[in-house]
Amino acid sequence: MPLIRIDDKEIEAPEGETILRLALKHGIHIPYYCWHPALSIVGQCRMCLVEVKGVPKPLTACSTAVTSLPPDKKIDGKYDMVVDTKSQVTKKAQKGVLEFLLLNHPLDCPICDQAGECQLQEYSYTYGEPASRLEFEKVHAPKRVDIGPHVVFDVERCIKCTRCIRFCKEITRTEELTLAERGVHARVETFPGKQLDNPYSVCTVDVCPVGALTSKEFRFKQRVWFLTSTNSVCQECSRGCSVRVDTYKGEVLRLVPRDNPKVNGPWMCDYGRLISERMKDLTVLARPKVREGGRLTAVPWPGFAQVLQKKVASSLKDGAKDAALIWSGRMPLEEMAAAKALSAGIFGGLQGTLPKVCRGEDDDLLIRKERRPNLKGAALLGLAVTGENAPVSSLLKGKKVALVVREDVVGEAQGPEKDAIKAALSAMDLVIVADYALTETAALAHIFIPLAGWHEMEGTVVNFMGVVQKMARSVLPPRDRKAFYEVASLWLSSAGIDAPEASFLAWHAQVRKAVPGMKDLMIRDILPHGVQLPEVGP
Amino acid sequence: MAEVLKLLTRNVGKANSTNVDSYMASGGYEPLMTALHKMSPEQVLGEVKASNLKGRGGAGFPAGLKWSFLPKGRDRVKYLVCNADESEPGTFKDRLLIENDPHAILEGMILAGFATQAAGAFFYIRGEMPQGFRIFQRAVDQAYERGFLGKNILGSGFGFDVYVSRGAGAYICGEETALMNSLEGKRGEPRLKPPFPAGFGVYGQPSNINNVETYANVPLIIKNGGAWYAAIGAPSAPGPRLYGVSGHVKRPGVYELPSGVNLRELIYEHAGGILGDRPLKAVIPGGSSVPVLRADQIDVTMDPDGLKKVGTMVGSAGVIVMNDTVCMVKAMVNLMQFYAHESCGQCTPCREGTHWLKLILQRIEEGGGKPGDVDLILDVSNNIMGRTICPLGDAAAMPAIAFATQFRDEFDAHIREGRCPMAHTHMTVAV
Repeated sequence: MPLIRIDDKEIEAPEGETILRLALKHGIHIPYYCWHPALSIVGQCRMCLVEVKGVPKPLTACSTAVTSLPPDKKIDGKYDMVVDTKSQVTKKAQKGVLEFLLLNHPLDCPICDQAGECQLQEYSYTYGEPASRLEFEKVHAPKRVDIGPHVVFDVERCIKCTRCIRFCKEITRTEELTLAERGVHARVETFPGKQLDNPYSVCTVDVCPVGALTSKEFRFKQRVWFLTSTNSVCQECSRGCSVRVDTYKGEVLRLVPRDNPKVNGPWMCDYGRLISERMKDLTVLARPKVREGGRLTAVPWPGFAQVLQKKVASSLKDGAKDAALIWSGRMPLEEMAAAKALSAGIFGGLQGTLPKVCRGEDDDLLIRKERRPNLKGAALLGLAVTGENAPVSSLLKGKKVALVVREDVVGEAQGPEKDAIKAALSAMDLVIVADYALTETAALAHIFIPLAGWHEMEGTVVNFMGVVQKMARSVLPPRDRKAFYEVASLWLSSAGIDAPEASFLAWHAQVRKAVPGMKDLMIRDILPHGVQLPEVGP
Repeated sequence: MAEVLKLLTRNVGKANSTNVDSYMASGGYEPLMTALHKMSPEQVLGEVKASNLKGRGGAGFPAGLKWSFLPKGRDRVKYLVCNADESEPGTFKDRLLIENDPHAILEGMILAGFATQAAGAFFYIRGEMPQGFRIFQRAVDQAYERGFLGKNILGSGFGFDVYVSRGAGAYICGEETALMNSLEGKRGEPRLKPPFPAGFGVYGQPSNINNVETYANVPLIIKNGGAWYAAIGAPSAPGPRLYGVSGHVKRPGVYELPSGVNLRELIYEHAGGILGDRPLKAVIPGGSSVPVLRADQIDVTMDPDGLKKVGTMVGSAGVIVMNDTVCMVKAMVNLMQFYAHESCGQCTPCREGTHWLKLILQRIEEGGGKPGDVDLILDVSNNIMGRTICPLGDAAAMPAIAFATQFRDEFDAHIREGRCPMAHTHMTVAV
């Protein structure tokens, strides 16, 4: 293998590896804009120019591959390539390119939403000169161009790295974007009559190194340095994309994909990302409710578990055959384990069922038609799952008691099926709904248990490929909004049944015992990219 | 005084010179018949290598060597490209050939195709040459009619097709890989190299690209032999050469002379001397992209070695002559407007740098220049030089550096006086 020296690091590198990849892998930072690990190499921003010994001009680190020299031509007797990322030649090239990039850039950082996470800002501090030598009117270009349902384009800020163009060409293959015009007037544009409208369009905002492309939903919500970030998992399909959840004062402001080669690469779909928008429309309750005189009335948690247990016990006089338990693929493994414990302890061994909610079709990038993140986890724990979009009314019809957790069975259903579910629930003696929001189903409940949202609790989920990942508590919920495993602990205790402590770790220990392949996994093994569980037989 | 040659221009000025019959009447397509029936592809390539033919597009790369970079044999589909996107300011030699002797170019292309066993060729002609396009297309049609193109050329078993394609008016499409992108219907932007065209060219196939004049030389080489050709003119870059002389000379035009002709002789003897018998000020010897020479630097031979001595290049051999009425700042403004306009916008230094240089130069010319502007021009130019994907950046930076250093006193005078010292004379030239 060729031996290459970058600064004072000696690296053995496979032939064909580029200088930039090697340097980054070994902790040497070479600045770059147009290069992106998942996109083709174009070498056009020229930011990564470095001095390579024996070559008269600086070379782009992103596109220059390592090759081996014949033994008698080795540099200093042993190197196939010697790169200097700190030399005068390199520094002059970097300063020159940065000055050019900023030449017609509006420098409107104070009103730019990218400020704080802008590569142009960062490199200017690290590699640039404090002042520009341009003494002319800058070239102006349109601002606030509405190029798609979720993306706004500021043409002036664009540095023409073409990452967004390549994303739409190479990743989504939708080709909405191109470079138009020439020279200093060159600009990214949508093709005539087209909008930047594909299921992954906000990824262009992620790949944009500057403030040219910003997200309509997130822009101006908050300065990024005020955000608190946690690593979690997207809940909107069985892919379970690794995400970073950015919150401010308890509100989820945005989801950003985390580069995870096991699951989603650097991308995620707009639908999953915009869960933060849909959450705004929910009516969220902070306290348990019990129907009294036709109205749901808030009650305090102390004593609530006893009320719950008493009502269930009195309604199940004829045994568990009168009950229906609906679990959800939204529940993490720990909640599912808790659900199993409730089945055994409270409902006399009655099995619950998870609706397999599907919408649309799988695409060839990330999106899965199975809209729940932990259906595979249910299978691993031995929970029953219905057929694809199978009617839930048949599970409820004729029962006296229902416990529905994290599924809005009424809201998801349509037409006669919806009426059938409503009728079945209305005819019951006791309907208990446990959910984050006051859903259509919850409106029919006799007892409502407020559950922590996906962003308010810890848990582990297994995606369709069998990769187990950990959700994080991005926001601390009000005290009475609990994860279902906490509810289960309290409920079981109130019925006098031994239960694990009301905590994530206690229930996670149960999960590790129950799920094949998780026995020896520590939480730190699962972070940050998850672990592929061994395939188990059907 | 070097004798004017009638080799490349042998048919120029003849009646119906673009017609296949008149071309054949003067021995046209005979070299092709010889090659197809009596020579192997290797022999044709050998003659071209022996001739030491250097590319006429500007870079002067040995043509035979370039052809030999293509993979051998006919297993892979290979293409040739003829670069007829002649758009370098001061260069108009290819147009003369296209409009007067298209069959010579075509014959050269077929010979090159035979030597490299290529499947076909693309003739990419500048969009602003509608007449040349019509003439060349007719020549191609005639060649098909006479069996010089097609499946089985003259019964030799060798098949070769030529497609004529028009550009849409971009200087950058004269750069070989931008041309290929344009040919494929894509945006005319140079490609990152490697891969080089010989491995990944038009439509991703191995490709070879040469200039019009380069191909037009090939029939001469096959007819007379590589050794004959190599003996013409300067040994380092031999052969006849078309010099396009423009600007302040009495007889502007294209002159066919041996390579390595003396620049002073070219201007004063062949082109008739300076317009208005005024003093000479500056000469750009090889198209606008090469460094400019002062009047006292023109006693040089027009070959790579001769011009290297004075720090410039043969380029496309388009000689731009400027007499003492020319303001060098204004001339440079004109050129930089061109480069800023023609920069494709793909890579940063050229996109931003050419525009900035244009603004600085305009400011100096308009009397608003500041002390330090010349150094700024030099520094910005050096930040472009060698930092871009394609040679357009260098092509803009090199003349800027040369103008600002060779004529620094004139730049300084503009800045010092706050006006263009030439303002009253450069508009009119008394003849």
